[in-house]
Amino acid sequence: MAYVATRGGERAIEQSERLYRAELGQIDAARVAEIRHALPMLIDRVMGEASLYEPDLAALALAQAGGDLYEAVLLLRAWRTTQPRLTIAQPVLQDQLFTLRRISAAFKDIPGGQILGPSLDYAHRLLATGVLQGRPYVPAAVQPAATPAPARQPSLAAWQKAQGLVADPARADVAPDDIPDLTREPLLFPAARAHTLQSLARADTGGMLALGYSAMRGYGNAHPTVNELRLAEADVRVRHPGGTVFSAGRVKVSQAEVTSKGKSGLLELGFCATLGWNEVKVISGATLDLNAPGAAKGSPVEEEFFLYHTEPVEASGFCIHFKLPHYVTFQSSLDALRGAKAVPAPHEPEKVPA
Amino acid sequence: MSFLTAVPLPDAFETRTNATFEALMWALSRPGTVQDLPAPGSAGIAEALLDRECRAFCDDPALADRIATFGAALVPLPLADHCFLALDAGLDRLAQIAVGSALYPDTGATVVAQARFGTGQRLRLTGPGIETLAEIALDGIAPGFWALRAALCRYPAGFDLFLTCGAQVIGLPRSTTIEVL
Amino acid sequence: MTIATLTKPWEAMSYGFLDASAKRELRRKMLKAIAVPGCQMPYASREVPMARGWGTGGLQVTLTLLRPSSVVKVIDQGADDSVNAASIRSFLSKVSGARETWDTLEATILQSRHRIPEERLRADQVLVLQVPNPEPLRPVEPNMSVARQMHADADYGRLWLILYEQIVRSGRVMQGAAYPSLVNGRHVMTPSPIPRWDVPKLHMAQHLTFLSAGREKRLYAVPPFTRVEPLVFSDVPFQVEDHAALTCHRSGLTGYFMNEIPQGDGGSQFELSDSNLGIKAIRQAEGADARIGPTWYENGKTS
Repeated sequence: MAYVATRGGERAIEQSERLYRAELGQIDAARVAEIRHALPMLIDRVMGEASLYEPDLAALALAQAGGDLYEAVLLLRAWRTTQPRLTIAQPVLQDQLFTLRRISAAFKDIPGGQILGPSLDYAHRLLATGVLQGRPYVPAAVQPAATPAPARQPSLAAWQKAQGLVADPARADVAPDDIPDLTREPLLFPAARAHTLQSLARADTGGMLALGYSAMRGYGNAHPTVNELRLAEADVRVRHPGGTVFSAGRVKVSQAEVTSKGKSGLLELGFCATLGWNEVKVISGATLDLNAPGAAKGSPVEEEFFLYHTEPVEASGFCIHFKLPHYVTFQSSLDALRGAKAVPAPHEPEKVPA
Repeated sequence: MSFLTAVPLPDAFETRTNATFEALMWALSRPGTVQDLPAPGSAGIAEALLDRECRAFCDDPALADRIATFGAALVPLPLADHCFLALDAGLDRLAQIAVGSALYPDTGATVVAQARFGTGQRLRLTGPGIETLAEIALDGIAPGFWALRAALCRYPAGFDLFLTCGAQVIGLPRSTTIEVL
Repeated sequence: MTIATLTKPWEAMSYGFLDASAKRELRRKMLKAIAVPGCQMPYASREVPMARGWGTGGLQVTLTLLRPSSVVKVIDQGADDSVNAASIRSFLSKVSGARETWDTLEATILQSRHRIPEERLRADQVLVLQVPNPEPLRPVEPNMSVARQMHADADYGRLWLILYEQIVRSGRVMQGAAYPSLVNGRHVMTPSPIPRWDVPKLHMAQHLTFLSAGREKRLYAVPPFTRVEPLVFSDVPFQVEDHAALTCHRSGLTGYFMNEIPQGDGGSQFELSDSNLGIKAIRQAEGADARIGPTWYENGKTS
């Protein structure tokens, strides 16, 4: 079959994958455990974008992808797809979170106190180059405070609502089982509030930062003040078929509430939460959420714009798909081009339906 | 692809629901043709299509119990995305069937009902899936139903109909124009 | 309800990869797509073990249809052994036990990116086209909510205007592949980035076509015997690519869509885009038993 002699796609893709995997070498449980323990922030980021809270699987995905974040998230999302949905957890309430860090930029002090918790915010970002010369870096021991901060902290917005400072939108009480689920339904606009928050929760951290930053720089209407940033652990409370509600374990969560003065004269809030600890993501997401109401179509702070364009699996997949051959469509355009009469080049690029 | 070891095998549920769907797919693609279902009746159709993401209306208590086991919520007729009904009487309530909108035609309901094929009222069908025209005869459907359907289905809004007769099914999508002969 | 009723014994993977819930959602949306030809139906679009934009929409439709007796053909740019076609076909057979084929006549399900085979599809075959962008209105309206409203209103004036401007400016419609077409006289769809050569193959066809965009989470269908009419002006007829007179330098066949291969001497050679049609023609010439079915085009013209 002379016709196919120059092709041989199946062998090519097999060997191409082998080349990639040869570089990564053997993957064993020890490597996965090391990734999990050494890179908790990366694990958190990947779990958030994958919307799958399982640190061991996240570490395995990172090992298999050689650290390519988009590949790792895709691996986890594809695995998640195959899992049955056993039950739906009870809603997590802010003041029930086991809170490790909670700060507000809006007030000097807040009910419950400013709790710095674990953070590099005030660290000097210096590389510990001694490590490379054989002197291990050993972190200094933490000195506990005289009085431990309370594990549970009230919500600042609750205080602001009581003061009449923020609008208190009508609550829509929805049974946990009836909350719309983005992984089971397409995202349509205007989006259900649950879909918006779910979409922000699994958005690409970098993409959200880019669009959130554009809003912070002035492409949005509202300048954000961090009302409350919280890193916490949440109980996953589920209902046993027998009726009792019990905690099936804890997951790390982050949430941010940002605020600015709205046209109504009240404070408006933007909110974002995600699985794992990821402060850049939730502050960016909350900023986008704050700016979304009334945003112009096609602006970076319009909900449809930022939710579609920060979906990590869709965005990265489409980006790399341009590597696929497109010679049939090119041939078709070439034919139209050759058939066109010679006319002066238009100033605008020709728009053709996609 | 070395991570895929063994080829999975379909279990009886997968085989049955796959075959049921294929019958429904061809029934709707070629309106008026008779397709074979793996089992008689409407329960198999519900099994292939419904789960906890669906809202169903069913006026047969035994079938309603089956549908509930698939996870679908049982709701009043106007809220249902899948309706399991008798069409031989009680036409008044049929005006409540969800027909969706031009914006979201997919929210028009899927209606499943029983009929007898090859006898009774003759109908002439035209539209997508039919090369020129098709003729069928159906019994067990109230005489005013077809006029009501025409009034409700303002394309692309409308509902889509599956009629079963034993283990056979005929599909009549909203895109089919039906002339009562 | 108990946990036991919601779950099932552990298995490494569901048959056909997708779980029962994903398949049921696909089935419901595929039925709605058939019921309103050419109308984009939103669906959840599960993640699958392939990157978005690489055929995940087509893959989900095919996985829903597959059973062990299925015979699958997968092509990319017309070729069965194109790298991504090979990858998809191998995945499909590994998760379903379906038989792989390169022969259009043998296949029960054909998944394709950017081409429709030259041999006529039959009433028992399903064509699944991969769709990168399901929205024909995107060049005039990138916002999906606004575009949806335009479809609801059958408001296609701005699309016509683009085509008109092209004729004024260039003397012809400049649209290459993915030619917008009116389905069943109501919805304008993009037929996916198939060349104009392939659009007439969807009009009043014997077979059923699904078009599915996994990344954009939309699927639509063209049932058999459904009108698919490219948008044209009555005085400027629809033009397919000018390939009718080209001859494949490998197989010697004339009158089908060709790949152009630039040559060092400044000219071009042409080879059949439908690679397996070329293989069959060569095998026939060598005296082997290779059957070529009836084709949509005969002597470069639709028959």
